[in-house]
Amino acid sequence: MLLIRCPYCDETLPELEFAYAGEAHIARALDPSSVTDEDWRDFLFIRSNAKGPHYERWRHVHGCGRFFNAVRDTVTDRFLTTYKAGEAKPDLETLTGDAR
Amino acid sequence: MTIHPHDLTPGKIAESAACKVHMLDPVARFSLRAHEPERKAVADALELDLPWYVGDVAKTGETEVLNLGPDEWLIVAPEGQTDFASRTVDAPHALTDISDRELTFRITGPRASDLLTLGCPRDPDSIKPGQGRRTLFDSATVVLWRDGENDFRMDIWRSFAPHAVSLLALGCAELAAE
Amino acid sequence: MSKFRVAGRGRVRHDAPVSFTFDGRTIEGRQGDTVASALLANGTHLMGRSFKYHRPRGPVAAGSEEPNALIGTRRGKGQYEPNTRATMQEIWPGLTTTSQNKYPHLKFDLGAVNDRAYMLFSAGFYYKTFMWPASFWDKVYEPFIRAAAGLGVSPTEEDVDTYASRYLHTDVLVVGAGPAGLEAARAAASTGLRVTLVDEHAEMGGALLSEPHVQIDRLPAWDWLAEQIAELQDMGVKLMTRTTAIGYYHQNMVGLCQKLTDHLETQPHDTPRERLWRVRAGQVILAQGALEKPLVFDGNDRPGVMLAGAAQTYLNRFGVRVGDEIAVVTSHDSAYHAAFDLADCGSRIAVIVDTRALVDDALVAECARRGIPLKRSHTVTGTAGRLRVKSVTVNAVEGGHVGKGRAYKCDALLMCGGWTPSLHLFSHTKGSLKWDADAQTFLPDRMTEACQIAGAGRGLWGISAALQDGATMGAEAARALGRDAAARALHAAHDRPGTGASHTELPTDQPASRAKAFVDFQNDVTAKDLRLAVKEGMRSIEHVKRYTTNGMATDQGKMSNINGLNIAADALGKPAPQVGLTTFRPPYTPTSFGAFAGYHRGDHFELTRRTPIDGWAEDNGAVFEPVSLWRRARYFPRPGEDMDAAVSRECRATRASLGIFDASTLGKIEVVGPDAAAFMNRMYTNPWDKLAPGRARYGLLLGDDGYIRDDGVIGRLADDRFHVTTTTGGAARVLNMMEDYLQTEWSDLKVWLTSTTENWAVIALNGPNARKLIAPFVDGLDLGDDALPHMSVTECTFMGHPCRLFRISFTGELGFEINVPARHGRAVWDKLIEAAAEYDITPYGTETMHVLRAEKGFIIVGQDTDGTVTPDDAGLGWALGRKKADFVGKRALMRPDLVLANRKQLVGLLTDDGETKLEEGAQIVLDPDQPKPMVIVGHVTSSYNSDAAGRPIALALIEGGQGKMGETVHIPMPDRTIAAKITSPQFYDPNNDRLKL
Repeated sequence: MLLIRCPYCDETLPELEFAYAGEAHIARALDPSSVTDEDWRDFLFIRSNAKGPHYERWRHVHGCGRFFNAVRDTVTDRFLTTYKAGEAKPDLETLTGDAR
Repeated sequence: MTIHPHDLTPGKIAESAACKVHMLDPVARFSLRAHEPERKAVADALELDLPWYVGDVAKTGETEVLNLGPDEWLIVAPEGQTDFASRTVDAPHALTDISDRELTFRITGPRASDLLTLGCPRDPDSIKPGQGRRTLFDSATVVLWRDGENDFRMDIWRSFAPHAVSLLALGCAELAAE
Repeated sequence: MSKFRVAGRGRVRHDAPVSFTFDGRTIEGRQGDTVASALLANGTHLMGRSFKYHRPRGPVAAGSEEPNALIGTRRGKGQYEPNTRATMQEIWPGLTTTSQNKYPHLKFDLGAVNDRAYMLFSAGFYYKTFMWPASFWDKVYEPFIRAAAGLGVSPTEEDVDTYASRYLHTDVLVVGAGPAGLEAARAAASTGLRVTLVDEHAEMGGALLSEPHVQIDRLPAWDWLAEQIAELQDMGVKLMTRTTAIGYYHQNMVGLCQKLTDHLETQPHDTPRERLWRVRAGQVILAQGALEKPLVFDGNDRPGVMLAGAAQTYLNRFGVRVGDEIAVVTSHDSAYHAAFDLADCGSRIAVIVDTRALVDDALVAECARRGIPLKRSHTVTGTAGRLRVKSVTVNAVEGGHVGKGRAYKCDALLMCGGWTPSLHLFSHTKGSLKWDADAQTFLPDRMTEACQIAGAGRGLWGISAALQDGATMGAEAARALGRDAAARALHAAHDRPGTGASHTELPTDQPASRAKAFVDFQNDVTAKDLRLAVKEGMRSIEHVKRYTTNGMATDQGKMSNINGLNIAADALGKPAPQVGLTTFRPPYTPTSFGAFAGYHRGDHFELTRRTPIDGWAEDNGAVFEPVSLWRRARYFPRPGEDMDAAVSRECRATRASLGIFDASTLGKIEVVGPDAAAFMNRMYTNPWDKLAPGRARYGLLLGDDGYIRDDGVIGRLADDRFHVTTTTGGAARVLNMMEDYLQTEWSDLKVWLTSTTENWAVIALNGPNARKLIAPFVDGLDLGDDALPHMSVTECTFMGHPCRLFRISFTGELGFEINVPARHGRAVWDKLIEAAAEYDITPYGTETMHVLRAEKGFIIVGQDTDGTVTPDDAGLGWALGRKKADFVGKRALMRPDLVLANRKQLVGLLTDDGETKLEEGAQIVLDPDQPKPMVIVGHVTSSYNSDAAGRPIALALIEGGQGKMGETVHIPMPDRTIAAKITSPQFYDPNNDRLKL
């Protein structure tokens, strides 16, 4: 069971309070009707399935209720960082440099 | 020990040398939502103090306001003392009556904090006296108020209460037997 | 007193005899004994039979690593446990124990014929012996293997014990309370940190319990130990004995299993048998010490052959000599001390056989002083004795040549092949290991967790080193947590660390094919099996493990892994570090299912949600069904009625007069804020701008893939406030989905969502008399068709309670849904039932609700849809706000696959014979005579006997179904094929006249 830092509560808490919510930084088009079938398919179904650092979303569902983003290494299961929804993608090299 | 919903009436649920569990009388309970830029305007209009940090509690008279998240407050007031709910608020917000959604249990006694560890994965000591949090107890979402070192209140959705309270009652006896 | 008990020796209470039974025989032990030590004190080594060959076995160890002495324990009715380690089970008056894996008797066992037929059972025998003929598998081979294999017998009675669990947050968790663990706990606790110290044994002390001669800080070891424990207690350290760290998980989560009652004669009230602790520690200190390695030689499994360190423990901790005439075979110094201690207590040491040429002079001198024959550069090539070792054959080894053997009489043979750090928990964390060539063992290397390893667990031998390292690592852990810490230095006198050499099999003059030199005692794996596995092509140690089953039994290779590796490496011609170790997996020792289940069994197995009206349903004989976590009344049978009869009556009564239904479980979400309508427009398919406050609408929710996710009636209470209902099972999912879009895609919207499911009790009244019943209770509210038309909502007072009154219908009859604050739900229900006697009010359950809606062709999401159904597929195209720029799912509805003409579409089905009720889930074909496999064109989603239609009705998803009205399809069943016609899904009142009553 992992420990996860909620960027809204600023607390590091047991995984049981959280729910996984899929890959992060996959934005829904502002005007979906202008999106091609292929792009809409990719938006719906195509994911990076990363081995290593993975940008993903979690929700502090049994806490403050907020969705937020995280970078987690899918090999070690370790969180490299968590950050608020809407914040820029953190730079991977800085993160992995710190963590390894 | 199994507790059925109709057993849940205000008063003593379980008691041992280690801890006590009481069900409290109904209160008025509201969910208040507003974004940070409007927090002050909403607070002024409602004439309530809306704490900024997640987990902090502010008291205005007998009305308590707990910050549950960045745009969410739980307001608890004695029944019939809900003038704030009828005040005019111009700033965007949402106020929803949830008085009947939860039941509230008071958990006290020298091992009250240990009793929570039967079902609460979070460290109870991460909630300071005078604070509260939404968290988890035996797979049910609860709001946990720490009113004192050994004095907690647990708000729990009505239909989840018998399950959670059964465990609390069992734990009262288990802790006393240690 | 038995001659093997040494008066005044050990930590047992010699003045407190305790009787228990073993295989029906009364055994007298002492308070503080384990079953193994008590049996040994009575001269009994034979405690069980082995897994495969049914060979007689006795204890080889004194701790939880014991592979042989597994027993059944019975503490009372429903309290039988198989495979308990006799070396860990403490005795108490009345404890009943039995040996295992014997038939018919421990001393005479028919299964031991396997031992003679051992050629059949060599490595990989499963894969070879039972290959052919294939028809033998079911009837001959499998039953044979099932009967022959296995350890103890599973209990058949329900476990009457209770189990518990807790979370524990601690700054420092120390695993193992030997000298290293005690000092580590002290160093960390002295800085004010919260420290927890656990040990799997009945008392703390670890190696100190077996080495009372050591002096620490000028105190005898046991006096020092007592002082330490008292001081740790004073410092607030949480001390837990009989507590095993069973698994080490991510981010310093450690699982502990604490045994609370197995050692007690009388069970205390309110005390669980075991408690599983989920510990989260800032720092973990592993101070688990090391395990002694057996030597591998022919006959090393005979009762009476045991580890030298175990014999030392039996003597010094339990006051038991394991034999009168004892031989020792060793490649390590530590066995000498066991021999010396035993000699000093009256056992005769027949011989010490050391495989090494060079032995420490001091040890040689001590042997000479005691008159113990010492054979250096010698080997052991065999043992004799049927149920107990009687002699050992000792041969000289010179220049690689094994000389002629000489037999030494003995009733116990102690062996020591050196020591292996206990790496199990460390390995759970995927920490990497490094090979120590000197010690011929693996040591922990790179850590993945906030963890320290102290003492013998990282290859530091002796009490002094363990104390020092424990203090150092305790201070290290404290510093890592930001404390200022220093390690104290302690001096231990009479410490005896020692050194040794490592072996594969001991040199022998016997033909290798005949030797039964065991590596894994519990799984009966011999050195020959391992070599055979390599010879037959296994190259990876993981393959060797699975082919031979080495290290796979309940002891998880505690004794066998290193010897197995050394032999496999030798056979492969590779150095050991290149071959590597197999994976150690949790739990460290076998753990009961009860401990894992904890409180979640019986009534507390899973949360059952009940509505405020559930009690009435229970009192009135409802049959319940689970719907997500809720239990809902399914139907209310009267005496003599089955479900069909009850449902038929409930349906009829509702359509004829009045039915009452508890709809409290429906999900409810309050959508509030200035942008509420904008949010609803984006979320639901329907248009919401023009829905006036006071009106309600059927809302359809899709995923962005265009498929139906949920539906429900949504009422607009005010410009900025909607009362959304969801399906019972969908409530949490829908709210989560809405929050997701709101928080992450549309965070600009000023609107908020609150679950109000449990705030309201909901009572649905359906039937022509519904209005008449509620009219007296609504405080003068006009309930007429103009004031409160179908699909409307009003906030009113009902029986004096605040109420949200919906006029809606899921049955096709005139219908109202009364939402009152949950606490008043039962009272309102009771009063309605009472007031409606004249209308023949009939309570109905979910089954009748399903039939009534199916008669109207209303779908149930999740029953008539399966996550691949679009609104058009379901005939709900009318619910799409096609003029809206966007809503969740809109874009996907234009994808090529979603506009295909031949998609599965929801239709009605009527069986041709008018009598047969189809099976839900049955597959549908167009041509019943086509060859198999048939082309399936759809399936039945709902099927009921309809009272209103006077015949069975069904809903089905059929390819292109909406264009096939009137066509016949076929439903092949095991015994026949049923013909049915495709129809409209509306079977009753297609013009909705009854809503206007």
